Amino acid sequence: MWRIAARGHDGRWSILVDKRATAANLLLTGLLLAASLASLCLGSASIGATAALRGLFGHGDAMTVFVIRELRLTRLAAGLLSGAAFALAGCLMQTLARNRLATPGIIGIDNGATAFAVASVVGTGFGLAPPAMALAGAATATAITFGLAGGVGTRGYRFIVAGIGVGAAFGAGTQLMLARAPIDNANTAYPWTVGSLNAADPLAVELLAVGLPAALVGAGLLARALAAVRFSDAVARGLGIRVGRCRLHALALAVLLSALAVAVAGPVGLIALMGPEIARHLSSRRGVPLFGAALAGALIMVVADLVGRRVLAPIEIPAGLITSVVGAPFLLWILLRPGHRIGA
Amino acid sequence: MNHLAYDPPADTPSPLRAHGLTLAHGRVPVIRDLDLALPRGRVTAIVGPNGCGKSTLLAGLARLHAPEAGRVTLDDRDIRDFGARELARALALLPQSVTAPEGLTAAELIRFGRQPHQGWLRQWSAEDARVVKAALAAADLEALSDRPLDAMSGGQRQRAWIAMAIAQQTSLLLLDEPTTALDLGHAIEVFELVRDLAAAGKTIVMVLHDLGNACRYADYLVAMRSGEIVAAGAPSEVVTRALVHELYGVDCTLLTDPGTGAPMLTNVRRARAPKSASADT
Repeated sequence: MWRIAARGHDGRWSILVDKRATAANLLLTGLLLAASLASLCLGSASIGATAALRGLFGHGDAMTVFVIRELRLTRLAAGLLSGAAFALAGCLMQTLARNRLATPGIIGIDNGATAFAVASVVGTGFGLAPPAMALAGAATATAITFGLAGGVGTRGYRFIVAGIGVGAAFGAGTQLMLARAPIDNANTAYPWTVGSLNAADPLAVELLAVGLPAALVGAGLLARALAAVRFSDAVARGLGIRVGRCRLHALALAVLLSALAVAVAGPVGLIALMGPEIARHLSSRRGVPLFGAALAGALIMVVADLVGRRVLAPIEIPAGLITSVVGAPFLLWILLRPGHRIGA
Repeated sequence: MNHLAYDPPADTPSPLRAHGLTLAHGRVPVIRDLDLALPRGRVTAIVGPNGCGKSTLLAGLARLHAPEAGRVTLDDRDIRDFGARELARALALLPQSVTAPEGLTAAELIRFGRQPHQGWLRQWSAEDARVVKAALAAADLEALSDRPLDAMSGGQRQRAWIAMAIAQQTSLLLLDEPTTALDLGHAIEVFELVRDLAAAGKTIVMVLHDLGNACRYADYLVAMRSGEIVAAGAPSEVVTRALVHELYGVDCTLLTDPGTGAPMLTNVRRARAPKSASADT
């Protein structure tokens, strides 16, 4: 049930907390902390948990401190931030489209961001830094998709189909650029195409470290309106929600988050499908589990990266490949499980 | 309860009016230059054949559909001048065939009706709790408050949606085909709830498919055809064989319901010489 967490003594203000959502978020946070610690400890040289935590705060031998803080912590931060951003973007898009398949990855936003970022890496003359290019690409893909579909609104499937087409076109563009690029440049751009934390751009990580908390606040402000938008536009407007404005803000946040996440990790878009789904299962149906989705997305990314690093060590499997292997059956399950609507 | 002898009371001006209202879908006008004043505290039914523009008119009255020309006023103020939440505190709307997220319970749905009264710093008050409880009681759903909507009968679910609108505490309630897809018993549940709400002082407008139910449950009938009002008034005054023929192209025999005095249609059959059968489908 709901619980009133705080209330002014004159009853003029009150904050509601959903117990089940809180429990779900605590569970996800616990799992995330455990996975993060494992990610710091495990590697080509395994470090004990205590030593790893001491190293994190600059204690212990110089080598351990270096491995923990310079290598593994940056990678962990990239994973946490990008996973959370992908899943939060996915949750926002799914909610505003009222369709669980409408994630930025599936409707072509990730591919647009990737194509533009790769264009700058392989040296096609575009001079901007990859994060800026990813943002430009994501915005371009979004504009084309919504232009073709004639807006989002009730025609949910129309813009998904348009988005799949746009995504395919940008994906082909990326492949073409890689095929024509000099081999060294193409190698540099390779992590972009599968999705990996191996070569996370420090600038992009820093941008996301600022952007993600801001986006979480923004999403939090939209949460009440989004909960009503889940019913239908007419119902939401009947409840006094400014649906157009809410949708525009949610879409802008989703595009920004996807672009920054792609700039860090490449297109690991299936996290946008899995994170919100896990959060919805754990959370109650009263609200949109935006925060839970971000936590679940971060968890998936950290675990996928850890598995990718360890399972065939010393060969590293990109995190994007792991999420695809897990994500494909997950997608089929969403589509095929009986008795459930696809609408979010 | 005899609610059929309706005289528009002169001392209670209509809360909701359309003035020269023109509504279009794209560039095709659906409603042209329509004037309408809805009686306060009464149940109004908008009827007419498929495609006559009755749902569009309702959407226009609820500000879901922006007019090409003319305006809608709520207590003599243009509804476009209302803030989004302000309008939602004055006018509640239940659109046609609404669905809720899986697993949402009746009480949870009804809580959404409080949104226009809440804010970021006032998320839940004792008043909200009281109103939700009263809405559950009004819709006779107290025993089912924690049941998911998808595990309810059609009539119960529709009453839960109406209860959400009740929780908005508006003086106006607009319902778009509230009984479509409900069987007879469930439809009656909804109509009786509507009558109870009108008895409690709400002004209700519903778009209805069925002229018989409109005659039975409405105080005021607005009959539309091809985007225009062809008759408006108490059902016992405006429903004639000629009107039924004009609306639906059928012949019928009209009786008077011995219990309520409402007109009853019987022996409905296709008109022998249908005039312009395909004019409005």
